[in-house]
Amino acid sequence: MKTTDRHIYSLRPSFRRRAEGAVVWVLRIATLIILVAGFSVFGDIIFKGARTVFQTSFPFVNTAFLTEAPKTLYVFEHEGESFEMADDDFRAFRTGLEEEAAAAGGPAPVLKTKSYVYSAGGIFPNIVGTILLVIGSMTIALTLGVASAIYLNEYAKQGPTVRFIRLSILNLAGVPSIVFGLFGFGMFVIYFGWNVSLLAGWFTLAFMVLPVVITASEEALKAVPKGFREGSLALGATKWQTIRKAVLPYAAPGILTSSILGIARVAGETAPIMFTAAYVVRDKLPWEVERAVDFLFQGVMALPYHIYVVSSKIPQNEYSERVQYGTAFVFLGIVALIAATSIVLRNRLRSRYRW
Amino acid sequence: MPPSKRPEFAIRKTRTRFLGLTMDECIQAFFGGNALVAVIVLGLITVFLFREGSGFFKQNQSNLVVYRTAGLEYVDHLKRQEENHTALTRYLFDLRVRMFKHITEVEGASLAEANQRLMAFDDYSYDFGDTIEPLRGAVYDLSELVTATKTRMLVNEDRLVERQQLRDAGSTGAAAAVETQTIDLVAARQPLMAFKPTYGQLNEQFAVSMRSALAAEAPTMPTEELAARFTRFNELVEQYIDGFPAIEAELAAWDPNRPIPTWKAWTSFITGERWLTASFWQDLYGVLPLLTGSLMVSMVALFIAVPLGVGAAIYVNQLASVREQNIIKPCIEFISAIPSVVLGFFGIAVLGQAIRIISQWDFLSWVPGFPVIERLNALTAGVLLALIAVPTIFTLAEDALQNVPRAFKEASFALGATKLQTIIRIIIPAALSGIISAVLLGFGRVVGETMVVLLCAGNRIAIPDFTEGIAAFTQPVHTMTGIIAQEMGEVVQGGIHYRALFVVGIFLFFIALFINFLAQKIVQRYRISIG
Repeated sequence: MKTTDRHIYSLRPSFRRRAEGAVVWVLRIATLIILVAGFSVFGDIIFKGARTVFQTSFPFVNTAFLTEAPKTLYVFEHEGESFEMADDDFRAFRTGLEEEAAAAGGPAPVLKTKSYVYSAGGIFPNIVGTILLVIGSMTIALTLGVASAIYLNEYAKQGPTVRFIRLSILNLAGVPSIVFGLFGFGMFVIYFGWNVSLLAGWFTLAFMVLPVVITASEEALKAVPKGFREGSLALGATKWQTIRKAVLPYAAPGILTSSILGIARVAGETAPIMFTAAYVVRDKLPWEVERAVDFLFQGVMALPYHIYVVSSKIPQNEYSERVQYGTAFVFLGIVALIAATSIVLRNRLRSRYRW
Repeated sequence: MPPSKRPEFAIRKTRTRFLGLTMDECIQAFFGGNALVAVIVLGLITVFLFREGSGFFKQNQSNLVVYRTAGLEYVDHLKRQEENHTALTRYLFDLRVRMFKHITEVEGASLAEANQRLMAFDDYSYDFGDTIEPLRGAVYDLSELVTATKTRMLVNEDRLVERQQLRDAGSTGAAAAVETQTIDLVAARQPLMAFKPTYGQLNEQFAVSMRSALAAEAPTMPTEELAARFTRFNELVEQYIDGFPAIEAELAAWDPNRPIPTWKAWTSFITGERWLTASFWQDLYGVLPLLTGSLMVSMVALFIAVPLGVGAAIYVNQLASVREQNIIKPCIEFISAIPSVVLGFFGIAVLGQAIRIISQWDFLSWVPGFPVIERLNALTAGVLLALIAVPTIFTLAEDALQNVPRAFKEASFALGATKLQTIIRIIIPAALSGIISAVLLGFGRVVGETMVVLLCAGNRIAIPDFTEGIAAFTQPVHTMTGIIAQEMGEVVQGGIHYRALFVVGIFLFFIALFINFLAQKIVQRYRISIG
């Protein structure tokens, strides 16, 4: 008989078991689809963007792309050769040709050029702008957010008022970023008269992440066992000593990870800065201002807004594709780095503190 | 021995005080102050949204009043009639295309021959098309007239505002110098009123000329299907003519002085089917096309993201090995870090084209809407938004599954249930409230997303043609978030358009609040108590 070679307790094949296997595979494939979709986006941008950002010869990184401002690209043919030049090079080249021609006494050669806006140069001002926006807004958001969380969790009397505030903050975390952009526009740009400026962008972004920072910091504070506080207070420490020595050190990892996630969010958002802080193009770098105050009241170029501009406002072609993918690569790299730090840090710290 | 001095306790420290507060109280005040600022500013969001948006309905009402009193409403009735006639001629044109196709492809005639054979039909359709001319002329004249009146009214209004501003600033002399004119609206509308009686005759002649155009020697149709279409055309024309009395009645009943109630300003926003701005005719602020767009895009996104996200959550939480979990979870979280503008760019650069190419594959031609006409449409944006919604849904659903007490699972296994039975009958029902709220929050995330829809949804402000069924999802749409991002930079501050965008923002704000609130309620209400 066939069944004899199977052990009595071994699994017997049945329809149900096969169905179960099929369902497991369906779910596994769903998971795979997500991962494949995510990595195809990453892969496409890394693969095509790397061609702009890296190069095969020394120093292997396209330094011009990372250190120059966006320029217009001129493509033309001259004496049978085709040239691609940024606008300043092109002007020098043309003046050279004209002088040559003048010296030779002939007419200056006519160059038939095609120009592609933003397709030459680099994205240095955008990187700087994004970094400035992130630093400023995170400073504001962390100061306000962590302090509010400490107050709400440690000092405030837990009653209906605090519950209501907590609920409102939680709900505000889900409000679309464009609504925060509108709010920033109405309040900072118009009502306070700051115009499109770094300061308006800082506050808009800060208030956008504020609910997230408060909620996450409160979670971290709540996770610290009550015994820690009671023990410290019983030894005669004041409230502040307790918070500083017995609560914050243990809540810090949680607060840190949430704030890094907040940074990733702030760096990645475009909608709130579109009409509060971002300029399409600006010749001067942020520190090239006459008075120190002007530093705060200037608009900046930012990476996400630049991606929006180069991918929707200029025609698609091989030249614009370079800058599009290059910018996306750098931007994605920065954001992914921040996010990865946060994820790794959390997994590391989660296992360190156990009580 | 005299009573000894009482033992002295060491605590003599006077606390340093600052403004009458001890150090601890100072610190508490600092934290409390920060919390207060945070709460106030977050409260100010609503205040500022309403502050900028509040004037909209009043302005919209006066916008509608001008629309009526200047007579634009009157002419719009006629314009609609004209448009319907154009639709009929388009039907004829479509019929010609079909006939042409039949003659060249099925009968195999050459192009010249086909055109030759269609000559009679062309004459017929031109004759029919020409019947509109008298009406079109009248509509054109009246449009010119009412636009002129409207412009005069608007200029006058601007002057009044200017005068008021000057007066407020204290310069009465300059204020008096601002010329305003009194517009004799009755005289301006005189031609409209005079048109009313002649309109009846015009319509009669119009009907007669259309019928005679129809009755003219009808071209023969090559197939039965086309013949049926031609008969249908005749029916449509008859229906069109039957609709005339209704239009006549509307025109007769039209009264420029009938007041526009306040609620009309609200309903015209909420149920308005057109969002028309910077138009030379009449600006309309109807949120419906934008709302439809937002919902359609979200539906596509959720249709993809819910099965994937929930499926992956079940797999990772219940079926995967620990090693798999440790790889998959951070990866999906990593996906959530992709900035939306990068996804939008990916949509423009890669996905839009990919979808178009895929839709042109022959074996997929049964899918409604394929091949897609526009590269950027609701489908493209929805697919990308799915990638945004998946991490949210996955993370929250996974949390919900994690929170199901272990005892449930163990009890189920102890009763002899298989893994699948346990998951389907025990774990999922127990975590259902959490999963539903995860889906809701994913929906909230998608509705509020801006950059992807701005870049990839196609940005056509119109309600898609739902008569095509599911194929409507392959049409370009515009969304509420997209319109704010697109138009906010170009509007006059304080103008009606500006305020309309803020009202859309308020609308979004409340949608988001409602979704969040609902998600929390569901979790609270249906949480399983452990114990």
